[in-house]
Amino acid sequence: MTFNEQELVKGCKQRNRIAQKQLYDVYGGKLFAICLRYTKNRADAEDVLQDAFIKIYENIDSFRADSPLEYWLRSVVVNTALNHLRQQKYLKELDDIDIHHNGVADREFTLGNFQMQQLQGMIQELPPGCQTIFNLYAIEGYQHNEIAQMLGISEGTSKSQYSRARSLLQQKLNKEKRFDDGSVQHKQF
Amino acid sequence: MMDPSNINSFEDQWRKALQEASETPPPSVWAGIEARLDKDEEKVIPLWWQSPKMWYAAASIVALMLVGGGLWYSGIEKTGVQVAVSTKPVEKPAVPAGKAAPVETAAPGLNKPETARPADDNTAIAARRSGNAAARKPENVLGKVHEPAAEPATVATATVPQNAAAKGTSNSLIAETGVPTTLPAEIASSKIAGTSNAAADENQPISAQLLASLPYSNLDVYMQKRIVFFRPEVRNEEPVKVSKPKEYYAGVGIMPASFNPDVQLKEAPMAFSAQSVSQKRAVTGSSQARASYAVQTQGGVRLSKHWSVETGVSYLRGNSAYEGGGYMLNAYNSMAANVLENALAGMPAAAANSDKSANFDNGALYIDVAKKVSNNYQYLQLPVQAGFTLNPEKKFSYSVLGGMMANFFLANELESASGDIIRTTASDEIYRGMNWAATTGLRLNYKLSANWGANLTGSYQRAVSSGFKSNQSLDSHPYLYGVSWSVRYSF
Repeated sequence: MTFNEQELVKGCKQRNRIAQKQLYDVYGGKLFAICLRYTKNRADAEDVLQDAFIKIYENIDSFRADSPLEYWLRSVVVNTALNHLRQQKYLKELDDIDIHHNGVADREFTLGNFQMQQLQGMIQELPPGCQTIFNLYAIEGYQHNEIAQMLGISEGTSKSQYSRARSLLQQKLNKEKRFDDGSVQHKQF
Repeated sequence: MMDPSNINSFEDQWRKALQEASETPPPSVWAGIEARLDKDEEKVIPLWWQSPKMWYAAASIVALMLVGGGLWYSGIEKTGVQVAVSTKPVEKPAVPAGKAAPVETAAPGLNKPETARPADDNTAIAARRSGNAAARKPENVLGKVHEPAAEPATVATATVPQNAAAKGTSNSLIAETGVPTTLPAEIASSKIAGTSNAAADENQPISAQLLASLPYSNLDVYMQKRIVFFRPEVRNEEPVKVSKPKEYYAGVGIMPASFNPDVQLKEAPMAFSAQSVSQKRAVTGSSQARASYAVQTQGGVRLSKHWSVETGVSYLRGNSAYEGGGYMLNAYNSMAANVLENALAGMPAAAANSDKSANFDNGALYIDVAKKVSNNYQYLQLPVQAGFTLNPEKKFSYSVLGGMMANFFLANELESASGDIIRTTASDEIYRGMNWAATTGLRLNYKLSANWGANLTGSYQRAVSSGFKSNQSLDSHPYLYGVSWSVRYSF
């Protein structure tokens, strides 16, 4: 934690509006990108971000300096997003899915030529359960047993949903036409 | 089955691509957050109540008092025969016999207490409360210090079977054992200092009174160490200063009002008294309010969430009428004067007009006709008011106002008996140039936007001193009721 972060947290604990705004300015962009990954559209993402920041300001007292501030902020945002998805009933029925290997999954690929918005768009297009579990497992780095606990599903469901997400994403990636020089003909999202 | 390395590659790439992703949220998000924070802040909770520092400080003080009290109490007991014993079991994992050696530093600690800083806080407390540093690590110390009781008369009330180290007996057991302290210090220290391998005599029984044979002065050193122990609990953090910029506002408004100069005739003017009509209703007339108005400008500053002060400049046109019966008519030159007119003319400062009163000394007639004459005033007003606002953050808020108003007299226009207008200005020295009035009011504020607001203010003003310079024959305490409409800009 840097000196500035300490001051920022201290200010937020004192409910100092300037410090709160500064915290928002520093981390709002990254946290908004997380919200976009977990939701289906920008309006929902904005709602989640707003709720998350209110929670952050209200619970900043529970933040302890022994862990990085950004991790704590991310976890608050992810939890808020999951609550939002529960309210939207997106996570109500998550079942095991039979995954048929389609032969395209193992291909060598690179994401280097894709723009961030394109990748976010691909994730947003996934079915809700797949989207959430992909985010939690692949990006946030949770294990399947942790995800199962968080979402109240079985570990097998988490794994199968993730496999499906992975498969769907690879199909989307492969749909993009690649040229020999590595450039990608982008699809409009 | 997928190749695990490929899975990692897949996840790593996505993680790399998206974990540091950032996208600026639209400004409306912060606006929404701010609005919700404002709403939350209305539930006012004292800041100190939220501050963990206050709790730490309070807890530290309580803890220090407890420890200090305990030390003082144990110090008193030391003067007697018994050594204070711990009333709280010290929870510490048992030390196996094989690992007893590393903790024998407690033994030299008896001679040099400052090097025997307790390894952890619980054991420290135990040592202090028992008045014996050896109690901190009794396993190894007891193993050695089993001296035949030199003074059987002072044998402890309890004897501890000395297989503590081998069986992993916790020091809490020892600490709970009360022992008298009568053994000379050098016996204990020499025996204990000589101990190098504690577990050797572990099966031999030992008298517990040996544990309590510390020199009294050593205990004092430990008492000081308790203060060191609590020092980290007190944090010296400087509070973040919450600096809220002052809010200024300026406004303009217009106030329809009901103005009454409340002119009273204290005694009949000379001409009227000469005609012996002072008892008549000519001198019992009264002022009546007429529609008036004020054009107001105001500027203020918000001092805190609720309090504000404001001032401004207003022009007041105060219209009124005076209804008093009759007027004087000079039979010779047909001059006429009503009672106010005559009274004004008779005022000392209006010596220039004194001929008006003189004209009615002789041969004047009193015409007893009720007549209402207009009596209009003009003032420049300068208010200084304090305001207390309820619900200051809401769209609708209410302010209670109170303060003083300096009324600078500009002019008075009095309708004469003949129908002419007699204009009196400040330079005529009849009216006070400046007259204080008390003012109070209730204001309804409506926020139109972040900066603009509309106000509706009900005001009451009343002069605290007479409007006339000399109140010998005339007195006036103007008062006003008004409802002001104004717009305000905050910056």
